[in-house]
Amino acid sequence: MSRIASEVAVFARSTYFQYVALFQWASVRGYVAYKILLPVAQMLFFVELGAFATGPQNAAYFALGNALQLTANAGIFGVIATVANERHFGTLPILLGSPANRLVTFMSRAVVNVLDGIVSVIIGFAMAIGLFGLDLHHANIPLLAVCVVVVSLSTAGLGLMFGSIGLVMRDAIIVANVIYYLLLVLCGVNFPVSRLPGAVQLISYSLPLTRGVEAAREAVAGAPFGQVAGLLGGELLVGLAWALAGYALFATLEGWARRGGMQEAY
Amino acid sequence: MRSLVRAALSSLRLTLRTRVVSGWMYLNWLVFPLIFAAAGLFVLSTPGGSSSRLVYGVLGGGLIGYWSVAYIDGGNGIQDERWQGTLEQVFATPTPLWVIILGKVAGAILFGLLSFLPTAALAYFGFHAVLPQLDPSRFVISLGVLTFTFFCIAITLTPLFALWRWAFSMVNGFEIAVYVLCGFMFPVAILAPWAQGVAGVLAPTWAVRALYASTVAEGPHDLVAWWLAAVGLSLLYLCGAYFLYALVERRARVSGQLAWA
Amino acid sequence: MSAPAIEARALRKTYDSTRGVFRREKVTRVALRGVDLAIERGELFGLLGPNGAGKTTMVKIFTTLLLPTSGAATVLGLDVVKDEWALRRRIGFVFGGERGLYWRLSGLDNLRYFADLYRVPPAVSRRRIPELLERLGLAGRERDRVELYSRGMKQRLHLARGLLNDPEVLFLDEPTIGLDPVGARELRMIVRELADAGKTIFLTTHYMFEADAICDRIAVIKAGEIVAEGTPRSIKTLVEDQGVVEFEVVGLPRERLDELRGLPGVSSVAVAEHDLAQLVTVHCARPSEVMTRLSAALDGLKLEKLSSREPTLEDAYVQLIGDAET
Repeated sequence: MSRIASEVAVFARSTYFQYVALFQWASVRGYVAYKILLPVAQMLFFVELGAFATGPQNAAYFALGNALQLTANAGIFGVIATVANERHFGTLPILLGSPANRLVTFMSRAVVNVLDGIVSVIIGFAMAIGLFGLDLHHANIPLLAVCVVVVSLSTAGLGLMFGSIGLVMRDAIIVANVIYYLLLVLCGVNFPVSRLPGAVQLISYSLPLTRGVEAAREAVAGAPFGQVAGLLGGELLVGLAWALAGYALFATLEGWARRGGMQEAY
Repeated sequence: MRSLVRAALSSLRLTLRTRVVSGWMYLNWLVFPLIFAAAGLFVLSTPGGSSSRLVYGVLGGGLIGYWSVAYIDGGNGIQDERWQGTLEQVFATPTPLWVIILGKVAGAILFGLLSFLPTAALAYFGFHAVLPQLDPSRFVISLGVLTFTFFCIAITLTPLFALWRWAFSMVNGFEIAVYVLCGFMFPVAILAPWAQGVAGVLAPTWAVRALYASTVAEGPHDLVAWWLAAVGLSLLYLCGAYFLYALVERRARVSGQLAWA
Repeated sequence: MSAPAIEARALRKTYDSTRGVFRREKVTRVALRGVDLAIERGELFGLLGPNGAGKTTMVKIFTTLLLPTSGAATVLGLDVVKDEWALRRRIGFVFGGERGLYWRLSGLDNLRYFADLYRVPPAVSRRRIPELLERLGLAGRERDRVELYSRGMKQRLHLARGLLNDPEVLFLDEPTIGLDPVGARELRMIVRELADAGKTIFLTTHYMFEADAICDRIAVIKAGEIVAEGTPRSIKTLVEDQGVVEFEVVGLPRERLDELRGLPGVSSVAVAEHDLAQLVTVHCARPSEVMTRLSAALDGLKLEKLSSREPTLEDAYVQLIGDAET
């Protein structure tokens, strides 16, 4: 098999497993429950809380932040599920042993989940507009769309890191759950990051979503692209950094596996 | 009768022992409540807001943790046995399934109560939020009534989750919906009228209302009526549970699917 | 004559399921097709059959885990459908395998918990549990977590659990599966001792020699129907005029195999790959005649190790279950 053909084959198989992981609920009902009911409930909780604490005129602030956070569901859990499926189906060693460009293979795991993340955010925005009064009349819609894509990419980068951790740590999903909900506290989703203690803000800015949420808020207010380019660039870099860290971990594990160290992980 | 009580206590002990070493358990009673408490406290302490709202931050995280444990851990009693591969064995004993579940839910509830400790500590040390007008006896009774409502709901949900897998897939959505509808972190009165109607048929709504009322001096409070409403609704759920358990037994014996995880 | 310990009359069980995601079609699988059985008190009865024959279904019906679709079954005179609560106190069952135990708990804690679920009085279980541990060779390891037990130990713990309520009838579903030969033999000895002590034992297995070794009576089940029933000796007489011819050959073509099957007196032919050769086992009547015809039919092929022998219970079983080509 030629090199390109084998790379395509690996990519296709990886994408297939992402697809399977995505539809792990195996039913339309399950998908609705997970993709609509849960996000609605989460948004409703924080919007009502926010309205109670700061006044009903601020409902849209909370709706916007939470709508964006929804992408992390696909970005983090979706990627972990993909890796878990590869492990379950026993194709992980094949993947590691393939001649394909490993970086591409590694990154390709996130593809479907990025798309799924974008869908989640769109659903979130629909709810934010329909139920919670988010007003996009003055918004820079194309810029907002870019923010959504960027945030989906960056959270998937974090997900790739967790995917690699998931290779050695059986309970990586537990850590992933914690990070997913911590995003609600650390990333300016429900209140400005400036209210957090200084040391904690450092953590906030090293996570995806933080800059993206800020950029999206500005886009909703009608800001031009130039005003948030720095934020978006930073967001992409953070996502990329996490993805590369994940790849470094993946490559290290692969080396150990080759030397007979971590076979049990598979 | 004594042997049934013994079986329930045995189930309670087993639950406590397996939960103590379970990572997920710590997530449910410690980590997630702390995260939600932190989020809530930051939002509730937004500059310009009333300080009386912080009461919801003191108890809200604990309520979230308590509910999560009772609902997810307690409600998964049958599923848990199925995942462990022991469902057939316990089903075929002379002890009815509901007795075993009773013990499991009681064990989960005990863990859930722990949620109040770290979240109240976070509220106090992180945000200087306290409950200055707490009426201890009313608070304890309200907490007892709330415990009873969670207990009855978990007992009722257990067969529901076992019978219909789609119900289980709605788990996380319903869990958070209850935070909203039962007024865990903000009063139900701010919700839309139709939502308040739905909240009214949920037993914990009344117990939580009584709980918060026991922490402030100003009325009007009709705690006794609220306690009775909570208890009454819970007993109704138990009536439903009776039929659900009979249905689980019947379905299990017809389909033979107990062993399938 | 006392009533049978276990009785089944026209016992039938069908499972309904659906297939497909979008266009769901209903699929009905018949697991038991009207089974009649009667097992006397104190018998060690073996139910033999291949996977999927209905053995586990039958055990689950007797142990009240499953409701029959039609027909009736009683254990100790109690109806398995209506009298399940009274029945569960008097029977025990062992499904074996890796599941069915709380692996994070010790063996002792598992037994104590199930003793409570079986409503055994504490004074009784306090005495009985150490006795069971001793008898089943688990004494000294009872405080270790079950996840650290070997397969054989887990199986013995399953058996201990099944005996906690000192049942009058014990159901064992493939109890030695997955065990090493020594462990399996030890377990068979324990089962035989339990039967000798007066318990009624209903055992399912697909190991012929196991049934032959310890059972008082056997029934053979195939596709939900009993095809033979009796003592091991009586079942062997089903094939008494039969014989077995075996030989090795290299490269047996398909047409010759069919020719072989068509020879008079041949009832079944089994072919097993054995290194580079094939080991052919021919079940037939009048083996000496068949051997002559065989040489003619397979003229040109080199036959090695040609021999004939008396049928064993295994051969009877194969005969009853049907042709096999591996």
